[in-house]
Amino acid sequence: MPTQPTWKNTLKACLYLLPALVILITFNLYPIMKSFFISLYTDYDFFNDVVYEYGFGNFAKLFQDPNFSKAMLNTIIFVIGVVPSSIVLSLAIALLLNTKIKMMGFFRTIYFLPFVTSVVAVAIVWGWIFHSDYGLINYFLSWFGIDPVKWITDPVFAMPALIILSIWKGLGFNIIIFLAGLQNIDKQYYLAAKVDGASAWNRFKSVTLPLLSPTMFFISIISIINGFKVFDEIFALFNGRPGPANSTLTVVYYVYQKFYEEWQFGLASAAAFVLFLVVFLFTVVQLIIGKRFVHYH
Amino acid sequence: MKKWLIGILLSTFILCVLSACGGADETSSPASDAAETNSNGETEAVAEEQESGEPVEIEFWHAMSGPHEEAINEFAERFNSEHDNITVKPVNQGGYNDLEQKVMAAARAQSLPTIAQAVTSVIPEYIANGFVAPLNDWMEDPEVGLSDDELNDYVEIFRESSIWYNTFYSLPFSKSTRVLFYNQGILEENGLDVPSSWEDIRHISETVTGDGLIGMGFENSFESEFQALLIQMGGVYIDEGTLEAQFASTEGIEAMSLMKELMDEGLARTAGEDDYMSNPFGRGDVAMYIGSSAGIPHVASAAEGNIEWSTTVLPAYEGEAATSFAGNDIVLFNQADEAEQRAAWEFMKFLTSPEITAEWSMKSGYLPVRYSAEDLEDYQAFVAENPEYLAGPSQFDAGFFVARVKGSDAVRNILLEEFDNILVGNKSVEEGLTDAQNRANSELENQ
Repeated sequence: MPTQPTWKNTLKACLYLLPALVILITFNLYPIMKSFFISLYTDYDFFNDVVYEYGFGNFAKLFQDPNFSKAMLNTIIFVIGVVPSSIVLSLAIALLLNTKIKMMGFFRTIYFLPFVTSVVAVAIVWGWIFHSDYGLINYFLSWFGIDPVKWITDPVFAMPALIILSIWKGLGFNIIIFLAGLQNIDKQYYLAAKVDGASAWNRFKSVTLPLLSPTMFFISIISIINGFKVFDEIFALFNGRPGPANSTLTVVYYVYQKFYEEWQFGLASAAAFVLFLVVFLFTVVQLIIGKRFVHYH
Repeated sequence: MKKWLIGILLSTFILCVLSACGGADETSSPASDAAETNSNGETEAVAEEQESGEPVEIEFWHAMSGPHEEAINEFAERFNSEHDNITVKPVNQGGYNDLEQKVMAAARAQSLPTIAQAVTSVIPEYIANGFVAPLNDWMEDPEVGLSDDELNDYVEIFRESSIWYNTFYSLPFSKSTRVLFYNQGILEENGLDVPSSWEDIRHISETVTGDGLIGMGFENSFESEFQALLIQMGGVYIDEGTLEAQFASTEGIEAMSLMKELMDEGLARTAGEDDYMSNPFGRGDVAMYIGSSAGIPHVASAAEGNIEWSTTVLPAYEGEAATSFAGNDIVLFNQADEAEQRAAWEFMKFLTSPEITAEWSMKSGYLPVRYSAEDLEDYQAFVAENPEYLAGPSQFDAGFFVARVKGSDAVRNILLEEFDNILVGNKSVEEGLTDAQNRANSELENQ
C-alpha cells in the first residue's frame, strides 16, 4: 500500500528506524569516525585524550612498513583462497541437501555445527589434525606416499592450513543461505524446463543459477567482507602468533599487534581505516558487477 | 523492488565493515564517556572516606585462574580478616592479554583498580603514560614502610627489575626463570651426567638422538635462551641506558648459530605445533628442554606415568652462567586516593611477605620473592619432596633481566619474526639478526 511521502510519514519512519540507528551510530559510525581521527594524530596521549600534533605521518609510516604490505597481501591471498572454493563447495552441498534424501535434518545440523562452534575449540582440533607427526591429514597423505607436511610450522603451508580451516568453518552458514535461496525458486520453472527437454546441467545453468544470483551475490559480499576481517582463526591456530615468519599476518592481526601489543594507537587506527577503504572499494565494485548479473524475480 | 534489495545488501555490508574497523577503537569510545561520570562521582565520596578513616575497599586485578586464583582468594581473605578497615577484592580478568587490554581501557576511562598484576615488560608503558604510582614514599614511610633488612630480603634480581629511574614502581609477585628439564631415564640408560654446559647439551644430544627421539628442545619463543646465551658470551641485548639494541654483535651471531646448528643437525627442535615443550617432553620425544620454571606443574602432568624427570640450572657457556628472570609484578595505580593506596600498599607487603610468598610458591610453582622464604620449614620440606623446584631459586645470582623499555614488545615481535626467518632458511643468521637489530632500533627511537 504505497502512500504519498508526507512529513508525518517520514517522521513515523524515522521513529521506526531510531532503535537500529542509535545502535549503529553508537557502536559503528562513531567508532569508525573516531578511529579515522585517531589515525591523523601523530603525537597523541591516548589516556588523557590530548592531541599534540595532527598529520598524515601514520599513513606514511604504514605504507613504509613492509609488514603492512605483507599483511595486505596475505589478506588478499586468504580471501582469494577461501571465498570462491567456499562458495562452490557450499553450493554443491546445498544442492545435495535440497534433494529428497533420508535424514536431511540430520545432515543440515551436521553441516551447520562448525559455524556455531567456538573458534578456539575448532582451532585446537584442527591443530591436532594438522600435526606433522600425529595428525590425521598427514596420515591420509602417507597412504599416497606423500611425506609429512609441516602444516603449522612451515611458512609455505601455514596459509593453506588456515584456508582449509576457514573454508570448513564457514561452510555451514553459506549452505543454510543457499538452501533458503534454492527453496525460494518456484518449482514450475523446473517443470517448464523439463517439458522443453532441458538436461539436469542445463536446468542448473539456466534456471537455478540465474534465480539463485541474489543469494550468490549476498554470500559473496558477506564472505569477502568476513575474509578481510579474519583474525580469530589465526590467533587460535598459531597460538597467539601470526604464523611462522609472519606467514599468516593479516591486516586485522596487524591492527591487533599495533594496538594491543605495541601501543601504537595512531598506526593501528590508520591500518584499520585503510582496511575499511579497501573493503569498501571491493564492495562497490561488486555492486556494479552485481547490477549486470543479478536477477531479482 | 530491485533498489530496495540493493539497499538492504548495502546496509548489511556497511554494518559488517563498520563492525570490522570499529574493533580497534572499541576501548576508546565507550570509555571516554565513563571517564566523566566516574571522576565527578567518586572524588567527593573518596575525600570523605579518608578523613573519617572509614573502611576502604580496593580491587586487585589479576590474570590467575584455577588453583592459582583460589590461592589468591585465600590470601585476600586472610588479609581481610587481619585488617578491620580494609577489604581486598581480587578480580580475575582472564589471561595476561585480557588483563593488559582491560588495564589499558580502564586507564583511559579513569576506572583503574587500585592494584593489578602486570608483566614487567609492559610497566614502562604504564610509567610513560603516567598511571602507575611510585612506591618509594610508601616504602620509606616510618609507619608502614619496609626496614632496610626487609627490603634487602627481597631477592636482588627482582628488586632491581622493579626499579626504573631509581624509583620503585612495582613489587615482584609471580616470577619465574628458565630451567633445564631433563629426562632421567634417558640419561641413566646412556650413562650420562646431568648437563651443566652447552657442550654437555651437544654431547648428550649427539648420543641420544635417533629413533624418534631428539636430544634438545626449545620453546617456540626461544628469545630468552638466545638472550641467556648472548649474555653468557659477553654480549648485550638492549642497552637500557642508550635504548639501543646490540644483539647482532659477534656474540649474538655466535649464540644464534649455536642453537641453529643444533637444530639443523637434527639434535634439537622447537615446540612447533605442540605450542609448548611440556607435551613432547612429557611424551618422551625429547631428552631435555629449556623452559619456564612456571611450567613445572604442566610438565608434571604431561610426564605423569610416562617418564622420570627433574630440572637443573641453565647450561653455562665456557663457565659463564646467566639466566633470565621474568614474570609479573604488582603495580599500584595513581588514580586511587591516598587511603586506597595505603591499603593497597599493606596488601602488597602482605603478598610479598616471606610466609605468603613461600606459600604462593608452593601452590603455584612461581619463585619465592624473598630470600628468607627459602629458609622457612614448610618451604624446605616442600623442596625436599619436590626437588625440581630447587633449580629456579638456586640461580638467583646468575640472574639477569632484559631491558625493560618502552617498545620492548614491538622489539619482541620483530625478533620472533626474524628468528623464524633464520630457522626456515629465508635469511642467514647474520642477515636475520642485523635486520632485526635495525628494525628494533628504529622502533626504539620512535618511542
